[in-house]
Amino acid sequence: MGKILLETRKLSNSFGRICTARDLDLGFEEGVLASIIGPNGAGKSTLVNLLTGHLPVQSGGILFQGRDITRLPIHKRVRLGVCRSFQIVNIFPQLTVFQNVMIPVLARTGRSWRPFAKISGENAVHREVEDLLEKVGLGGVRESVAVALSHGDQRLLEVGVALAAMPVLLFLDEPTAGMNPVERVRLLESIRDLSRGGRTTFVLIEHDMDIVFSLSERIIVLHRGEVIGDGTPEEIRANDRVREVYLGDEMTDVFRITEGE
Amino acid sequence: MKNRIASILLTTLVLAVLVCIPLVSGRFTVYLAMRVMLLGIFAVGYNLLLGQTGLLSFGHGAFYAAGAYGMGFFWLHLSPHPLLGIAAGILAAALLALLIGFFCVRHTEIYFAMLTLAFGMMVFSLIWNVRGITGGDDGLVGIMRDPITFFGLVKIPIQKDTQYYYLILSLFVLAVWVVRRIRISPFGLVLAGIRENTRRMEFAGVSVRNYRLAVFVLSGAFAGLAGSLEAMLESNARPFMAHWTHSGDPILVSLLGGLHTLTGPLVGSLIFVAMREIVQRFTENWMLWFGVVLLVIIMGFRGGVVGVVRQLAEKARGPRGG
Repeated sequence: MGKILLETRKLSNSFGRICTARDLDLGFEEGVLASIIGPNGAGKSTLVNLLTGHLPVQSGGILFQGRDITRLPIHKRVRLGVCRSFQIVNIFPQLTVFQNVMIPVLARTGRSWRPFAKISGENAVHREVEDLLEKVGLGGVRESVAVALSHGDQRLLEVGVALAAMPVLLFLDEPTAGMNPVERVRLLESIRDLSRGGRTTFVLIEHDMDIVFSLSERIIVLHRGEVIGDGTPEEIRANDRVREVYLGDEMTDVFRITEGE
Repeated sequence: MKNRIASILLTTLVLAVLVCIPLVSGRFTVYLAMRVMLLGIFAVGYNLLLGQTGLLSFGHGAFYAAGAYGMGFFWLHLSPHPLLGIAAGILAAALLALLIGFFCVRHTEIYFAMLTLAFGMMVFSLIWNVRGITGGDDGLVGIMRDPITFFGLVKIPIQKDTQYYYLILSLFVLAVWVVRRIRISPFGLVLAGIRENTRRMEFAGVSVRNYRLAVFVLSGAFAGLAGSLEAMLESNARPFMAHWTHSGDPILVSLLGGLHTLTGPLVGSLIFVAMREIVQRFTENWMLWFGVVLLVIIMGFRGGVVGVVRQLAEKARGPRGG
């Protein structure tokens, strides 16, 4: 068992009468690639939004590396090491790929406050950005304007921008949505490599069960704001409650049917 | 590379023309050139906020006025040294921008714009009503241009318009250079990121609010510089400098010239002042004709005059792939 990075204490949230998180007590361990799954409306995105500061916490608390971050604004959480990518591409459309990735690097290294330095002189930052672009496979399009990229490349950039903040814990919200199979495999492989590299702990929010079961070391299943399953892929496969929620009474090859939402 | 040479050549040419204007042309042209440069300083600084960061302020006239009145009070009560007076004007504007900005940058888009408008008009009525200090609707009059001295050793007179012209020119060049540096700095990139996607910026670990405040104060300082220079040019500071119609000038000028370029607001200032002078000779309603021009540019040429010229230049070079 690794060290617990992030912990929630009775975290709850509701939109009107719809409960999207009910007394969640979850812990994310260092180095364990976890996935959060669940049917639509299960509260996956809400959970990530709460943890990263997108949504204000209504009740309960969040601890990151022992520190209470429940009320911390987004950018301070990012500085501590909690970051995320978005389900819908959320990049800087009119900036180049290079600039997109450069912004978080500048912010992290404390170099973004200098109005009279020249960007072109930031050699260390340039090297780091190039490394990152190679890692996510965007080295060839570094000077393209982000909005002109293909959808798949925009998804890669989305992940690249999140990685550039060099998070300790990174939530990837459906990183492969809308990608073609080739791009998908490539991205997943780089996520696996980066996860093994050990610097960043990844948490995936995914719909695609193939991905979830092949990649994750731990799976958390949410349903109506509650955790109904939490364990290794084998444990989740064998979990009756999960089968019930996911499939109703259709009982075949379980986790392949869930995609057509 | 070609672009670089072209821009160096163009810059040199423009500078040469600016340096020569007082030598070869009449008083009125010199005066107009000074007005263009003042508006240029105002607009190029303002465009850090609008074009670079994507924030629309309707209250920058207040900072312009703060510069003018700051300069005026300093001259009246403390010292007649022009450079110190300008520094005082800039400082006054920056402090006022810090105060107003503190409240405004918490909000975005229309709320931000309306708040700046409200604060700007508050400053206007304050100046208008506190007659005992500001001179009310008469303004602060009789501001003189004493020579610039350095420790009693060097003495540069700026009394004549042709002399004062070169002070404005130097500060204009300095201001444009500073804005240019800011645009290509890491700070400038962060501002562009805020314009492009504020939410994502926070997830890049950037405190958006602090950057907004910083650029608000910076653009306010440029407005203050322009204001203090105008106070010396016209030898007065007037409440209408703070009026929202004046706050609108840098917006119009930036749109006219091109929002997303350094030179856009400068070209816009030239066209604005020139048009006002020319059209006013034929009709009282010069704003009507200016409106028509603005309409054409906004509907047809989003990049402003500078954008159009660039596109044409690229097209001319097009087939060879320049």
